[in-house]
Parts: sequence; structure tokens; C-alpha cells
Amino acid sequence: MIQGNSLSTKIGKFIIYFIVISLGLICLLPLWNIVAISFSSGSAVAANIVGLTPINFSTKAYEMIMEDAQFWRSFFISVQRVVLALALNLILIVLMAYPLSKTKREFKSRNIYMNIIIFAMLFSGGLIPTYIVIKNLNLLDTIWVLVLPGAVPIFSVILIMNFFVGVPKSLEEAAIIDGASPLQILFKVYIPVSLPALATVALFSIVGNWNDFMTGLIYMSQISNYPIMTYIQSLTIDIAELVKSGTSSEALQNIAEVQNRNLNAAKIVVSTIPLLLIYPFLQKYFVTGIVVGSVKE
Amino acid sequence: MKTDSIKRIKLLLVLLLLTSALAACVQKSSNGGETTTEDGKIIVNIGRSVGSNPKLPEGDTFEDNAYTRAAEEELDIEIRNAFEADGEDYSRQVALAISSGDLPDMMIVDREELKDLVDNDLIEDLSDVFEENASDYIKETYASYDNRPLEDATFEDNLMALPGTESLAAPQMVWIREDWLEELDLTIDEEGDRLITLDELEEVAEAFMENDPGDSGNPVGIPFDSYLNGADYGGVFTMNSIAAVFDGQPKKYLIEEDGSVTYGSTSEGTKQGLEVMNEWFDKGIIDPQFGTRSFDDIMSLLTNGQTGIATGPWHIPDWGFSTVREMDNDARFAAYVLADDDGNVNVFEQNTTGRFMVVREGYEHPEKAVQMLNLFYDVMLNKEEADMENKFPEVAEYLEQGVDDSTKPFNIVLLPNQKYLDDYQDIQAVLNEEMTVGEITDSQVRQNINGIIEYMETPEDALTNGWSNYHSRIVGWSLMNKLTEEARFNWVETAYVNNTPTMEQKGANLIKLEEEDFIKIVTGVEPIDYFDTFVDKWKNQGGKEMLDEIEEELAEQE
Repeated sequence: MIQGNSLSTKIGKFIIYFIVISLGLICLLPLWNIVAISFSSGSAVAANIVGLTPINFSTKAYEMIMEDAQFWRSFFISVQRVVLALALNLILIVLMAYPLSKTKREFKSRNIYMNIIIFAMLFSGGLIPTYIVIKNLNLLDTIWVLVLPGAVPIFSVILIMNFFVGVPKSLEEAAIIDGASPLQILFKVYIPVSLPALATVALFSIVGNWNDFMTGLIYMSQISNYPIMTYIQSLTIDIAELVKSGTSSEALQNIAEVQNRNLNAAKIVVSTIPLLLIYPFLQKYFVTGIVVGSVKE
Repeated sequence: MKTDSIKRIKLLLVLLLLTSALAACVQKSSNGGETTTEDGKIIVNIGRSVGSNPKLPEGDTFEDNAYTRAAEEELDIEIRNAFEADGEDYSRQVALAISSGDLPDMMIVDREELKDLVDNDLIEDLSDVFEENASDYIKETYASYDNRPLEDATFEDNLMALPGTESLAAPQMVWIREDWLEELDLTIDEEGDRLITLDELEEVAEAFMENDPGDSGNPVGIPFDSYLNGADYGGVFTMNSIAAVFDGQPKKYLIEEDGSVTYGSTSEGTKQGLEVMNEWFDKGIIDPQFGTRSFDDIMSLLTNGQTGIATGPWHIPDWGFSTVREMDNDARFAAYVLADDDGNVNVFEQNTTGRFMVVREGYEHPEKAVQMLNLFYDVMLNKEEADMENKFPEVAEYLEQGVDDSTKPFNIVLLPNQKYLDDYQDIQAVLNEEMTVGEITDSQVRQNINGIIEYMETPEDALTNGWSNYHSRIVGWSLMNKLTEEARFNWVETAYVNNTPTMEQKGANLIKLEEEDFIKIVTGVEPIDYFDTFVDKWKNQGGKEMLDEIEEELAEQE
């Protein structure tokens, strides 16, 4: 690429930078506001005067979280869940997508399997039948209920399958000539060139599992088994709704203690940190493993 | 090459092993089929409706805490939680339990769920066990409501559930910043009877807006929430009290003298109330952003001193005003009530029935439910401090630490009708040194009173907690007490029935219609005569059928 030095390119660059930076700020400022709120005093937050800097700096909200044993119990349940789900998801996605990426000539019943998968993706059993199945499998209140029902994310399978289909045939043929077995082809050829796609589905899996609160809400009967987002959700009650529905004074008082925007902001910050930490690690896979240049037509 | 793939398979296995090892950390609740434990205790599986802020001490859980241990000890039972959940999540768990056909032995349900359970014969008739086991005090408690809660739980002469109660909470008050009144040298209640008129309230709002005693630079008169009317006395930033001046009782079903049922929101009194609101809105006394300001935003108006007027129940200082005092240490509120021209306060009869405790059909020990009721709402409630420490030391400690009531395995509220007034008399007796703190039987009041005394002695240094309790329990309750003693209340008879078919179908839309049309009238988008159009729309869109259905149901109950 040729870099121009004329005035017009400079202005153009300036405008582009300006747009990109302001878009970045638009994304960043609300998050920063949450961080500022979490470090402000409760009354300043209630008075709506916190902007981008904390007012009456206070770490009380974080202290309250630190003391909350259930918060940490739930936090670790979520960590376990993400680790388990990520491992299971990746294994099952790859093992499923690889055969399905073959043509009908190579894998005769491919279309039957494909139809079953797509059917299952479009139609589900509904809440209560699913609940009864899970209950009869004795999965209620175990960590597996958070992991197993979503162990094969169909959408990701199709994504990876399509990625595999796009891998040049010549790569596989070369491996076959070298005497590689199908498993070796999968692990030595397909997976290394598919890292960007795998990183994407891994990210889906991590974010999806970390942020999901519904599963925990339905299948966990004890609060001590709640994953973090379910726990945070259970603490996040709209006090205005409670006031409307006529809740007792003691209950309101109790809720007002844990239910203020200050504390909620701190919970959001703490529960977002793990995801923020994971992004940089996955990011490097987004640029490597590109197929470009591996085959010369 | 080959070793590599073996390595990978090994890695897979290791990962799987690791994951199962990790998974073993989450405990599993036990709910086998047995009904007694090895040492002969009766097992009670309870569906627990819990609070989100239990404040349990380290190591205690909803399943195993001072209350459950006390009940297990006293009643020779073992409490197990079939499920624990909060608010809406609890309703979902109840629905799942009903639809999967696996009911816990006992659980708390609301009116709708109770009716469903009765219709499907899923719960036990408690008439006999209640009669035999309930203590006299419990029966008296229900009697203080003319047994209305029990009637609500009775189907075809059978008591199908143990009902909770809602103590008297009337009226809706008007809270005004007292320190601002003094600063501006305003006297609004010259007679000192704590009754104010609409004109007086208007005067205060105008003065607050003109002088901006909160130094906010942007004062707002009276804030209202967009839902405008609450269905009970708990509503905050509502116009219920303004409509009540004209004997309008919005969002209530009223029983007329001839026995017919009307809807309060369509009454002449509500129209007059809206007219006043519209006038105030034109004058700028009502928050010009009314309708778009959220509850949190209104709270912030109070906190940063933009407004000093709020309508609502006696208990707002407990959970709402505390941030006001944190921002401004000198902040004080006075409570008034809006009265009609004759000095009467028009109030509607509130729903006296809370939630219901039901026992699964076929459970062998329904009497344990009643015995638990006795334990928590008679024995533990009526103990002086010393007795409590003696008999239930762990529970006494809980009360001191303010552990949430939802840790009780049996969390329906069952308190006498005049509970708050009785508590107020107790507090007065202590302040007048006719009684010691230890003699107060209600533990909550015992906890509150020290903070109140501290606030009364040194208002500047007292903790916000004491400030809050002083305002709700002295300022708020004294107003309720005074109005009751002087018989100022003019009670309006109301109907409380289960959701009728039309209500289920069209109720939500009608409420939406009402709230939107009322906002239009207040803000002047539509003239006040539009109210009549609203009434027609309301009747035609299902309101008429709803009223008929309520009349029918009331006739059935007779």
C-alpha cells in the first residue's frame, strides 16, 4: 500500500480517526459510568450526580460483595460451569462437524443426521416437558444440568461444519497421501486451520454459559447452587415494582439494603472481569491459522 | 504421528476426568421418598419463598438456621427444603411443582394458585387440624380481621389453607420536608391537627419552588410516578390521597350501598382529583416531566434536594428517604394527611389477606403446619426479651442481628389488625418511662426503639437507621394513631375477589388504558371531559363484564 502525504489524505485520516475514536468512546463511556457508580457512595448514586468520576469515593459496595459468601460460591460454580461446558462443547462440536462436513458420497446418511439436527434446532420440547425429563434424569441441583442440556450447540456445529467444508480439499488429500488416519487429519489439518472459527465458537460458549441465568433459575432448587448470573439476577429486584405490588415495609427495607444501583454496579463490574480477561487470550487466534497461502492453485 | 493422536485422546480423557472431579463439588439436595428420619423425626419438605437479603450468619442456610432448628426441636420434625426461590422465581417453582405432579409437603401460594390447587384436589382440608391445634392467640389474631382471611381460605366450608394477614396501613400520607418549612417560616397546619387541605399543599409546593430551599437550582414541585394510583396503601408518588379528598378511590372495586359493585377509577371523585392534578400541572406545581420520570429518577429528585414533597405510606422513611438524610444531615420530614372539607379522611378497606400456606393432599401430618404457626406467630411473637433469650437464645440473637423473616420455614405474616397502633403505644410507653424496652414483646420494635431514642437525644449524630425509624414509627405511626383515636377515617367498603375470567383476559389492557388516559388528562393532552370518554371505553372494553363477574362472585360468597 502506498502512503500519501498530501493534505487531503491527512484530513481523511483525521476524519477516520475521529469517527473511530468517538465510536469507541460511545461504547466505553457507559461501562466507565458503571465503574464510577460502583466506587461512589450510595447517596450520591441515588441523587443521580455520578458521571465519569466517582463522587464521595467509597469501596463499601465491594466490601459488601467480598463478605457475601454466596456471591463467591456462585462465582465458582459459574467458573466450573464455563470450564466444563467449554471442554464439552468444543469436543462435541468438532467431532460432530467433521463428519457432517463430508459430502453425501463420502458419508451416506449425512443428510438424515443433518435434518435431525436442524429439526432439533428449530423445535424444542418446551419448558415443562424439558423440566420433567431433567428431573427424571436426576440432574436437578447438579452442575451437569447447567452443562449437559447445552452440550451440543447446534448453531456452532453448523458454523464449524461450514468452515470445514470451505477448507481446500487438497489439504486433506495431501494428508491422506502422507498416510494420515481420519482422526489425524482432523487434528493435524482441520483444527489448526480452523482456529479462528473455533475461537469464535469458544467465545460464544464462554459468554453464553457465563451470562446465562435462566437455566440456573429453573433447575436449581437451592440458592446455594445458583451460578453467578442467576444469583445476581435474584438480587436484582425492581423496587418500584415491589412498591406497586404492596410489599411489606420490612421486606422493602431489607431489599433496599442490597438493592441499590451502587451495589448493582459493583456486581456488574465483578462479574464482567472474567470475560474481559478472556478476550485478549482468544484474540490472537482470530488473526492466526488463516488458510490463505496454504494451497497454490 | 501415532503417539500424537494417542496423546490427544489421553488429553481428552484427562479433561473429562477433571471435569467430573470439578462437578462433584456441587452438592445435591436430598428428597427421597421417606417420611421419617432414622431417629424417628417427621420429615417436612417445604417449598420456601425466601428473601434476597437473608443476612444469615456464617454457616447457617435457609434449610438449617435458628428458626428451623427451633421448630425441629419443639415439634420433633426435620425440615427439608424442596426448593428455595425468591419472588417471581418462586411462583415459577410452584408452577413447575404443580405441573410435574411433585408437590412439597407444605408451601406458600397466592390466591390464584390456591384456587387451582383446590379445584384439582391437590391439597389437604385443614378445618379439623386448625380447630384442634391452633392456639387461642392465633384464633384471636384472625378474629381481629373479623375472620376475613379465614373466609378467603375457605372453600365449600372447608379450610383449605392457613392464610397470612395484612395489618391496617391506612392512610396514604403526604411527607413534607419539615426543615424546609421551618427555613421558609411556613405554617401549613395552623390547627395542629395534621390534616391539610389541597390549597395548603399547593401553597407549600409553590413556596418550595420559589425559594428552592434545597439549593438545587432546579426545584420541582410535587413528583408523581407514571402509574399514578396504587391498588393498596403501599403506593409511592401516587395521587390516591388527592382523589380521596373527593372520595374517589382509584383502582379499587367498591361495594355500593345497594350491593352493586363499581370501579373507583371511573368515579366522580377520581375525575375531580384528576381535575386538580391537571390544574397543578398547568401551574407547574407538578413535575413537568411527569410521565417520563422513573421511580429512581424521582428518588434522586428527593435525594438531591430538588423536591421535598412525597405521597405514600408510613414506611417510606425506612427504605426510601434514608439517602435524603445521608446527603443532608439536617433533613427532616413531617407527615400530613389530606382531608376533605369536613375534616374527614376517606380511606378504602384494604385487603386483609396475605399469602396462603397449603399442605399437600395425603400428607400424614398436616397438624405440623398449624403447630408451626403457633410457634412462630404466637409463642415467639409474645415473648419478652428475657424470656426469649432464655427459651430461644439463637432466635434472640437472630432478632438482634436483624436476620430476615424469610429464614423462618413458615413465612406467612400473621399479625393482629391493629398491630402498628399497638406497637406505637408500646413505644410511647417506653418513651414515657412507663415500660422498659425488655418488656416490649415485639422483637422488631425492641430493635428499633434504641435507634429512635438515640435520634431523639442527639438528632445530628444519630445513625440514619435511627432517623428512619423515628420518622416511620414516631412521625408516621403517630399520625395513624391520632386519626384512629379521633375517628377521622371514613371507611369505604371494597371488594376483593379472585381474578375473574374477564380480568385475566382483559385486566392488564384495562389498567394500561387507565394509566395512559390519566396521564393524558393530567398533562392536558386531553381535556378533563375526556374522562367520560375514558369511562365509556373502560366499560366497553371489558370493565362492565368484570364488574358483573365480581358481583356474581360476591353473591356466591354470601
